[in-house]
Amino acid sequence: MFSRRTLLSGAAALGGASLLPGLAHAKGGLVATTYPGTWEDAYRGIVTPLLKKKEDIDLELAPLFAMDQVGKAKASRGAPPFDVFVLDPGPRIVAIEGGVFDKFDPKKLTNLAKVPDGFADDWGVCVGAQVVGIAYNPKKLPPPKGWKDLLADPWVSRLGLTGFQTTFGTSSIIEISKQFGGSLTNVEPGLVELKKVLSKVAAVALPAAMPGLFQQGQIDIMYTNTQTVATLKGKGIDIEFVKPESGSIAFYTTMHIAKGTAETANAYKYLDLVVGREVQEALSKAPYNFLPVNKEVPLGADLPMKSLDEMTKYVNHDWAQINPLRAAWIEKFNKDMAK
Amino acid sequence: MTTNDVVVEKRSLRSASLREAPVGTTGWFREWQLALPLALAFAALFVAPLLLLAAVSFYNDEKLSQPGFGSWLKFFGDPFNYKVMADTLLLGAKTVCATVLIGYPLALVYLDLSPRLQKVLLFVIVMPLLLSVVVRTFAWIVMLGREGVVNSVLIGLGVISEPLKLLQTELGLVIALTQIEMPLMLLPLISVMSRLDPNLRDASAALGASRWRTLFTVILPLSMPGLVAGCLLVFASSTTAFISQTVIGGVRLIYLPLVIWQQALAVYHWPLAAVASLALVVSVLSVVAALSWLGRRSGGYVHG
Repeated sequence: MFSRRTLLSGAAALGGASLLPGLAHAKGGLVATTYPGTWEDAYRGIVTPLLKKKEDIDLELAPLFAMDQVGKAKASRGAPPFDVFVLDPGPRIVAIEGGVFDKFDPKKLTNLAKVPDGFADDWGVCVGAQVVGIAYNPKKLPPPKGWKDLLADPWVSRLGLTGFQTTFGTSSIIEISKQFGGSLTNVEPGLVELKKVLSKVAAVALPAAMPGLFQQGQIDIMYTNTQTVATLKGKGIDIEFVKPESGSIAFYTTMHIAKGTAETANAYKYLDLVVGREVQEALSKAPYNFLPVNKEVPLGADLPMKSLDEMTKYVNHDWAQINPLRAAWIEKFNKDMAK
Repeated sequence: MTTNDVVVEKRSLRSASLREAPVGTTGWFREWQLALPLALAFAALFVAPLLLLAAVSFYNDEKLSQPGFGSWLKFFGDPFNYKVMADTLLLGAKTVCATVLIGYPLALVYLDLSPRLQKVLLFVIVMPLLLSVVVRTFAWIVMLGREGVVNSVLIGLGVISEPLKLLQTELGLVIALTQIEMPLMLLPLISVMSRLDPNLRDASAALGASRWRTLFTVILPLSMPGLVAGCLLVFASSTTAFISQTVIGGVRLIYLPLVIWQQALAVYHWPLAAVASLALVVSVLSVVAALSWLGRRSGGYVHG
């Protein structure tokens, strides 16, 4: 009744991403998801033309947050709206449990040897990492020191909040909660403190709306990843990244092939290209500043960490423990924040 | 009686006899045949998915393995959801009021314009429909923001010293929705009002009625079908406007579309999402049904 392409276009419009170019119908086609913002810009700028040039594959990028991708894949039941996912650790677990991935064979990647050990498994391959911390406008606010500052003057009245719908939102609220006696599985203390200052908070919005609100001066401080900061900076916006005293949060980003895709061969070619030297080198440079996952790529100066080995020094969250709690947290957040 | 009057009378007689021509059984069936393709398309694309949605709501768990009333009990057992439903309907009512207050006078102005200016105004009214709702919504962020057009102008004029909080408030949302939904109010209103016989107004005036009395006893009742149709469209559209509600209202203003989105795409609890969807459909449809009943009644009043 619906082709997956019409489904995709509907889905993308829902995500506010109605700027997709005309959907391609070329024989050598592939639909891959990407995160809205920097990831989308970087992949559209670097990977799309390269994939066309090297493999004659037309790459369509569907900008969606990780949780949205899994939701849409589950809803499409066997006719995946895209061929390749890009996911954070939490949604990755949900997706594996939901059975929306094809088994992945790392040996099909010609670049496998250049990727660090353990970066490819039976489900997919790691293509990067994200670092989450605090972003603020240095022209309007003094630099905050840590998560606790978000809820204190003068920052709180310029703060933009987002809830548990995304990995960065969930991780950030967990870290805020830890400052007030909470833990990985207990965000209650953080929510109690948030509720106390709620009337001062500048905005509570959907994750996709945050960069726009920052750009418009509606908010001047938020939690986000380094790549969003890089993109906004590239647009000439006054924004700086701050590593909180208790440490930035870091997590791996992985790509996976959708179960039921008709483009398996193209999907492997795409993933091989993504972890290859050429793409990783281009992505690691300004303004994108991605962490390279290819051992042959030298590390750029502006990167948030010097190598992926540093991941262990950052705050890591165990998503197997977080996932079962998220539904209740989302409900709680709604009720606590509601006017 | 002049010749012209006779012609007019003949014409109206002819159209009246056409209108009242009896439609026989065969004619009725023929009409049905014409409607069949659309009816089938509706059945396949609308009724079937709706039934599927209803079926999904009767599961207790996310994995759709235990049938039962658990999701219904959970949704309607939570007082918070009643507040969300009430807020959603109230948002629709406020938007309808605002569009009527601004749209109705505009439609009256339209009636008195020359045909050329009418065309210009009609174009201006339809123009927002040519833009994606996403674009219109983001334009309102630029307008209503802390450093937006409205605040800059007011601060520049010295009316206020601190920026007003318009984004993330229900007031801002209603302002934006009023503009976004305005064409849906104006188009049916104008199409009904421009068919009103201008002689009626003159007759009313000749009989000594003031302009206000003419408005309330002649024009308003006669334009009721258009007004009701406009209210219906604006209400249904504003209560379900997920993008505008979340982008302009933020997530502290919680309406049913946000709850549905969260349950479907963030929590993946489809049975709960289905219950919330059905709650939205039923509550909006009951208001719509009440409005259209009102429309039929006023129609009967005018013609009978």
